[in-house]
Amino acid sequence: MGITRRGLGGVALATILEASTARAAVGVLNVATIGEPPTLDPMLSTADLVGTITQHMHETLYTFGTNWAPTPLLAAALPDISADGTVYTIPLRRDVKFNDGTPMGVDDVLASLQRWMGNATRGRQTGRSIAGIAAAGDSAIRITLTEPYAPLVSLLAFNNSAAIITPAGRQGGPVGTGPYQLREHKPDQYLQLVRNPYYTPLAGPSQFYGGARRPLLDEIRFIPVPDPDTRVAGALTGQFDYIDNLSPEAFPRLDASRTARPVVLKPYGWPVLAMNTKQGPLADIALRRAIQTALSPEDMMIAAFGSAQFGEPAGPMYPPGFPWHSDKGVVRYGEANPEKAAAQAKAAGYAGAKIRLLATRQYEFHYKIAQVAVEYLKLAGFNIELQIADWATLTQRRTDPALWEIYVTSSPFLPEPALNGYMLEDSPGWWATERKRAAVRAFNREGDAGRRAALFADIQTLIYDEAPIFKVGNFNSLAARSTRLQGFNPAPWPFFWNATLAA
Amino acid sequence: MRRRHLVWIGLVLLIAVTLAVACAPWLTPYSPSRLSIANRLQPPSGRWWFGTDDFGRDVFTRVLYGGRVSLLVGASVVAMATGLGVGLGLLAGYIRRLDAPIARLLDAMMAFPDILLAIALLAALGASAGNVVAALTIVYAPRLARVVRVATMIIRELPYVEAARAIGATTPRILLKHVLRNLVSPILVQGSFIFAHAMLAEAGLSFLGIGISPEVATWGTMISAGKGYLDRAPWLMLFPGMAIILAVLSLQLIGDGLRDVLDPRLGKEV
Amino acid sequence: MADITLLHLAVRRLVGMAAVMLIVVSIVFIIVRIAPGDPAAVMLGPEATGADVAALRTAWGLDRPLAVQYLAYLGQLARGDLGRSIFLDRPVLTALQERAEPTLLLSLIAIAIALAIALPTGIAAALQPGSAFDQTVMALCMGAASLPTFWLGLVLIELFAVRWGLLPASGYDAPGASILYRLEHLILPATTLGLASAALVTRYTRAGMLDVLREDYVRTARAKGLGERRVVLRHALTTAALPILTVVGLTIAALVSGAVVTETVFGLPGVGSLVISAVLRRDYPLIQGALLVVAMLYVLINFAIDMLCLVLDPRLRT
Repeated sequence: MGITRRGLGGVALATILEASTARAAVGVLNVATIGEPPTLDPMLSTADLVGTITQHMHETLYTFGTNWAPTPLLAAALPDISADGTVYTIPLRRDVKFNDGTPMGVDDVLASLQRWMGNATRGRQTGRSIAGIAAAGDSAIRITLTEPYAPLVSLLAFNNSAAIITPAGRQGGPVGTGPYQLREHKPDQYLQLVRNPYYTPLAGPSQFYGGARRPLLDEIRFIPVPDPDTRVAGALTGQFDYIDNLSPEAFPRLDASRTARPVVLKPYGWPVLAMNTKQGPLADIALRRAIQTALSPEDMMIAAFGSAQFGEPAGPMYPPGFPWHSDKGVVRYGEANPEKAAAQAKAAGYAGAKIRLLATRQYEFHYKIAQVAVEYLKLAGFNIELQIADWATLTQRRTDPALWEIYVTSSPFLPEPALNGYMLEDSPGWWATERKRAAVRAFNREGDAGRRAALFADIQTLIYDEAPIFKVGNFNSLAARSTRLQGFNPAPWPFFWNATLAA
Repeated sequence: MRRRHLVWIGLVLLIAVTLAVACAPWLTPYSPSRLSIANRLQPPSGRWWFGTDDFGRDVFTRVLYGGRVSLLVGASVVAMATGLGVGLGLLAGYIRRLDAPIARLLDAMMAFPDILLAIALLAALGASAGNVVAALTIVYAPRLARVVRVATMIIRELPYVEAARAIGATTPRILLKHVLRNLVSPILVQGSFIFAHAMLAEAGLSFLGIGISPEVATWGTMISAGKGYLDRAPWLMLFPGMAIILAVLSLQLIGDGLRDVLDPRLGKEV
Repeated sequence: MADITLLHLAVRRLVGMAAVMLIVVSIVFIIVRIAPGDPAAVMLGPEATGADVAALRTAWGLDRPLAVQYLAYLGQLARGDLGRSIFLDRPVLTALQERAEPTLLLSLIAIAIALAIALPTGIAAALQPGSAFDQTVMALCMGAASLPTFWLGLVLIELFAVRWGLLPASGYDAPGASILYRLEHLILPATTLGLASAALVTRYTRAGMLDVLREDYVRTARAKGLGERRVVLRHALTTAALPILTVVGLTIAALVSGAVVTETVFGLPGVGSLVISAVLRRDYPLIQGALLVVAMLYVLINFAIDMLCLVLDPRLRT
């Protein structure tokens, strides 16, 4: 072994030299993530982490361009939609190759979309409005709907629970059309991506997720660093070039740092307590309303984000600036009245059934929100048990209605409301009442933007009335990048094509 | 003798800590769990002696209430491990037929590193304060049993025990009346070490997030929660850390001193 | 004749060790069986269908009597099969092998640091028992033994990594990184772990030396006018080597426990942090396998040390 030959005395100096050369390797990007992805198949997971990593390896027919407008990626153009809004013809690009060199064909697209409708949470939901998918010639497909479904293109563009295109015979494997491909995956250590030699970028400038995706970096390494404090330390010591999901309390340190720059996305998203409406005590709407009454979004947001600079309570599902913003129907939000909630729970016949609240510590703010929620719910007389799990495990456990009553999660503000989990019936929480079904259906059928906003306000009203979720507030995200990272375009699911590292 | 002083210092420290923890409601006007977000991360002052945490709770109050859980876990482990360990050790040391199987079992139990065995047991049983006590009892009882077994073997051969046997005293009577009485000092010595180790282990397990639920204040969970604030609010980690060190130190002083004061042959550290 | 005694003893210890190992296996078998719920359902995770669970129950023979299951488990182990990790989707043995390096290096360096501190300090303290130096050493040891390892580790990270930027705060390997790159990441964790063990080993060294220095032949050597240095090095240290060796064997268990915590604090991808993530991921086969392997290693190491003592010191062969 090397140590014995060189002797330990020489290690110190040699180590410093060695380490600095390892860090200086140009074109190798080290990204610190919140942990190990539960899967590398983005169809099977709605976790942001999975989407962030796999969007470099797998692509969808569409993606989001400037201002979140859907734009073609593997498709050659936006779909040609029939006058009644039920037939979508999607032309495909002819120059796309998978990273094993085989060209992408109609068969691959058909097989992939079939798998999406069968296996992906979003795909299954969408599939209920789809009458059939067929080839339309050798480089186009045709999707026939049972009724108009406005969010279809946004759903096809989304990068989690994603309609990725993989080869017909090898669905769900690592072979994809993205600018990068998997070289090596050592769980809990790193996931190494290298350029896809067969990749052909789109022509034209880069536009957010759309336009040309140029794999300029030789390698991207995603390194799981589950401890939030260790991520901060890694940012400050210059160990990583991009560090995802930092606690806002680290902002002053990053701002003062010479190696790292803070990356703030504003407004980013919303933390939420999802409730199990299918099974267990919270299947009772009265108890969910009591929980709404008990909780203090203000305390949760301050505990989680430190100051109003990074997070503040807000009841509406979208912040001002989004067409979906509205104050309509927001009730019981911010009452923070555990005594009243206790009375409500008692009136509903609550007799101390256990409420299990799942949270992870990898997202520090989830954990803090959970702790504040637990205290308020205890004051309201709920028999609450906080269960901490690894994020990957939590995303698996939340799919089983027998295992939880509440879990803490968060989401970016999604450009198309239909992409939100609460709009689906399959997503954990399983909110599926007749009123919801009618409201969501009306919203999805509507093509006119103005009328859709009004219909979404109706859904928001229903969310507060039936309480399937408790939206906590609005927050800005904090990440960090090294001063060497250039050409990086901040986005909710950060991507690293088109980026370079200064020497 | 100087060693005797160490025992006293340790005892005084331990009693002081125990009293402070037991009298928590009279020593502090605050609640350990009530949130006061407006007062978060206040430095130590006349109003908050140890400052406040990230939820605005008084750290001094939480150190006191957290100490209740930490000390209670340690004490319960000692009590249960003593019961189990003494039972096994007596049987193995006195009844020759049982010696070999019990000794092998103890060897096997000791082959598991303490935290690792506790982790595996907690993974199987589920994390809760009760299960932490159960797991640590299973971890530490063999250590005590080993010492008791050796001590019993020595005592068994003492003249008056043989005399008692000769005049027809029953085995249980001999064990309780003659053997156990002589075991008090090694048990005390080992008990104080196990107490110390159990408290460190509880803190470690809670720190790893697989011990006591993180919303319950214990010294371990408090350090774990405070580690992100080492630069801005070092008091979050400092005070519970000092509390652990103080309690463990007092127990080690007691154990160390007792061992030297009492018969050194019987109290070899495990 | 002496060799025959040695062989005889070795065989007896070997039989004893085999018995202990069998019990270790049994304990591990029992621990997984006390987990509430159906192990098959637990192992397959919540997304499994009822048919999957039933198939696994049959495959594992969970419907058979416990004794039969136990024998089957023994047979599986005899073939070197420790099962398969659910989350990592690979054999447990492979997963453990992949994670062995950081843990081994961490333990070795920590032992080296502990010995480098403890041996000279312990011997020096034993040579002047009761002196101010001796008392300071003993007080420091007691203080160090009262420090929670993770607390020490966090303080070292804040100082050496974050404030002064001298050493990395976490991590271990990178594609194509050399052993030196990895060693750099071990400096802080090994120091943390080494300091904790140093306290223990110092105390044992001091006690061992004190015992030896009281022995007749050392006194004789001193009386004969041999220089103090020679007495210590030639006579006392060689004798004290045995108890110290035994302590090192015992320390290994403490090191593994410490490694679990230290690896988590420093984000080292070793066996310890693997076990912790396995617990958080409810990956029972992995927990079970890791526990078994570590305990087996401990038994083997202590057997080796036992034999080494027998070879070195004929007086033990009675």
